Amino acid sequence: MTTFIRIAAKKVKFAAFTLSLAFTCSARLQARPPADPQNGKAVFEKLACFRCHGSAGEGMSQPSSAGKDSGPPKIASTHLSLQDFVHTVREPRGQMPPFGPKQVSDAELADVYAFLQSASLQKKIELPSTANSQNGEHFYNAFGCYECHGYQGQGSVQTGGSRLGPPQIPFSGFVTYVRQPAGQMPPYTAKAVSDAQLADIYSFLQSRPQAAPSKSIPLLNK
Amino acid sequence: MAIRNKNSVNRRNFLKSAAVGAAAISAVPGVPAASATPAPRVPAAFPISPEAELPSSPAEILTTDRSGSDFMVDVIKSLGIEYVCANPGSSFRGLHESIINYGGNRSPEFITCCHEESSVGMAHGYAKIEGKPLLVMAHGTVGLQHAAMAVYNAYCDRVPIMIIGGNLIDATSRISQVEWAHSVQDAASILRDYVKWDDLPISLTHFAESTVRAYKMAMAPPMLPVLLIVDGELQENPIRADASLEVPRLTPTAPPVGDSGAIEEAAKLLVSAQNPVLIAGRSARTPAGITYLVELAETLQVPVIDQMDRMNFPTRHPLNQTERSRELISSADVIVGLEVNDFWGAVHSFRDQMERTSRPIARSDAKTISINSANLFVKSNYQNFQRYPEVDIDIPADTEATLPALTEAVKRNLDASRKSALSDRRAKLAAAHDETLQRTRDAAAYAWDASPVSTARLSAELWNQIKDEDWSLVSTVGFLSRWPLRLWDFEKSYHYIGGAGGYGIGYNAPASVGAALANRKYGRLTLNIQCDGDLMYAPGVLWTAAHHRIPLLTVMHNNRGYHQEVMQVQIMADRHSRGIDRAKIGTTLTDPHIDFAKLAQSMGVYAEGPIADPKDLAPAITRAIQVVKRGEPALLDVITQPR
Repeated sequence: MTTFIRIAAKKVKFAAFTLSLAFTCSARLQARPPADPQNGKAVFEKLACFRCHGSAGEGMSQPSSAGKDSGPPKIASTHLSLQDFVHTVREPRGQMPPFGPKQVSDAELADVYAFLQSASLQKKIELPSTANSQNGEHFYNAFGCYECHGYQGQGSVQTGGSRLGPPQIPFSGFVTYVRQPAGQMPPYTAKAVSDAQLADIYSFLQSRPQAAPSKSIPLLNK
Repeated sequence: MAIRNKNSVNRRNFLKSAAVGAAAISAVPGVPAASATPAPRVPAAFPISPEAELPSSPAEILTTDRSGSDFMVDVIKSLGIEYVCANPGSSFRGLHESIINYGGNRSPEFITCCHEESSVGMAHGYAKIEGKPLLVMAHGTVGLQHAAMAVYNAYCDRVPIMIIGGNLIDATSRISQVEWAHSVQDAASILRDYVKWDDLPISLTHFAESTVRAYKMAMAPPMLPVLLIVDGELQENPIRADASLEVPRLTPTAPPVGDSGAIEEAAKLLVSAQNPVLIAGRSARTPAGITYLVELAETLQVPVIDQMDRMNFPTRHPLNQTERSRELISSADVIVGLEVNDFWGAVHSFRDQMERTSRPIARSDAKTISINSANLFVKSNYQNFQRYPEVDIDIPADTEATLPALTEAVKRNLDASRKSALSDRRAKLAAAHDETLQRTRDAAAYAWDASPVSTARLSAELWNQIKDEDWSLVSTVGFLSRWPLRLWDFEKSYHYIGGAGGYGIGYNAPASVGAALANRKYGRLTLNIQCDGDLMYAPGVLWTAAHHRIPLLTVMHNNRGYHQEVMQVQIMADRHSRGIDRAKIGTTLTDPHIDFAKLAQSMGVYAEGPIADPKDLAPAITRAIQVVKRGEPALLDVITQPR
């Protein structure tokens, strides 16, 4: 609610309308039965939220040169209130497309919110200490990871493969994403590649160095 | 117009005289008609040119001073066609000989090609630099069949090309089984689905009118290939001494401008929009097209997303926001497509998983406007017209011709307060542009010293050595993560010419040679970043470049495979959770590795490689550029990262 009021204060001409909308939204959300995380998961998948935010809402953000994170943020265990969450989905900033009431109802969004707050998302998969980067390099190339992400995990805007070397997400999120990827990435099931092999691949990617600052490379300042 | 000579022989009279001749032979006493000595063969009755010289005496005539093909050269010269690209073929031998002897092999000059796909590909690249067609000649059967894929690319890419297919229409004039195999009842049917117009002239006057008409149609937006099927006998038969033949005057067709009411409506939407965005596909046909788009963008201070099917908008202009495409389209309240090939695709995302899904990325309340000349010419069979886009204002017109009127309408609708708001918008966009460029450079730094060479490093090394030259990048860059477009300063119309159009592999090498041919007279340094799989379709075009001294720097993006297909097979293997390490089977070009340097050297092209260490790249580029500056082609085989 505070977010709405802040916005309303800045845009006086629309204050009445905005507050009215917020109260209406809030009243609708409060009047409905308790949220259903299971249905929320189904809605989350139907709307393909996972394409940008990951299968468990872990996000895909990466630090930019300016020191800020860019890309779809983590939305699991979001700090937003339900009302702010709904408002953000309806009128997002940045690259996120808006989702109108015809695409997803307020009630369904409340279910999604409940899903994202559920304890089951907090399950972590730890990187085993036995992970071997040399094996990982072999698996990375043999299993075709290099095809979209490059031999060094540098990524490509053409393939849509994000930069992985070094990885920007924890091992737990890495495994989750590989198993149930967003966007165009094909899924790698446990039948095709084991958790241990993924750990080796992750270890290889961890061994990739951060790039030198582009400002230190004369050819990149022409 | 030519005036038909009253002494000319029409088809009916000729048939009559031929029949009388035959009857006279069979009437010789004591000689059975069947065993009579056959009369010398005379020109067939169809097609018959009224201008053709016919035998008037029993003595066999074996030579002529002027054949139909000489007049055809007069017509071709009248159109200012500089080159004719062809792999030689007997069905157009008459025209071939007239071009090199009667025409003096100048305008047009005969360019020897090793494959008809190369001929058309060269014409494709040439037209995008020069803004006009050159001529391609091919057999009406096997030649057009070879040429077909390249013609389809040009059709999809809206490029004007003049094509002449030779044929022997009169079955009784075919002298061998080869000519039978190389003759066809309806030759144009091979290409008819993807040319703008075709014709089969049966007289020289008909040829003249159809050739000028074809040129005129090819050059009218949407520009497209055109095809004439020219009979061998029409080429080879002599022209009567008293025949009256004239070359029709060419009057260029004015490009279609959008409806004034629709333009006014579009202008009002743009002026009142809070977050408008322009998407350019093939909006610039000429250098003026870039100027017009810059003026519109600056008048509105509106972001431009350049899909770069042509060089539409300077890459380092602060309003160029191509790298923020998704973000801008999803927040836009007015979206304008300017010759956008796939408007629906521009405002939707598509997901290629087990279930193919799509969803809109534009706001549901966004107003959409399309200006597109493609709507003026659509055929049914081939589906390059893309998915049906629901737009609010559809202006079927040439964008370049329409932009000045749109800009003027925008200016009329802008008041002072609105201009002030637009100024603030520009400042924000300029900051976003700078931040995007910095992010791009940061990304390029990854794998900087890797071997194989990263495509970012390859692009940066090239840019460092060409940026102070008058350069022209004539290859598509989609397969190397668009690094040149993201890092280089593209500004002039010839700095970039887009891609194949129809995504038919085999375009890049010949189109680059054709573009370099057009650039030669301007002294430009022409660059081609060449994919390995594409070059293997018809590498003989390297010989054409060497033979005709066409200066072109080719730098191989040699990732040793049809990498797009590696990924496609990988997707299937992953989807089936089996054999995920076998996607290279049938998709890669290894064992043995192709030695592109030796391949090029064998055809007389200076070449170095393979180069796998990025440190070796800069000196090799320096040496190759020196060769190109001497007026010759050069090739560097660089082993690269996949994308």
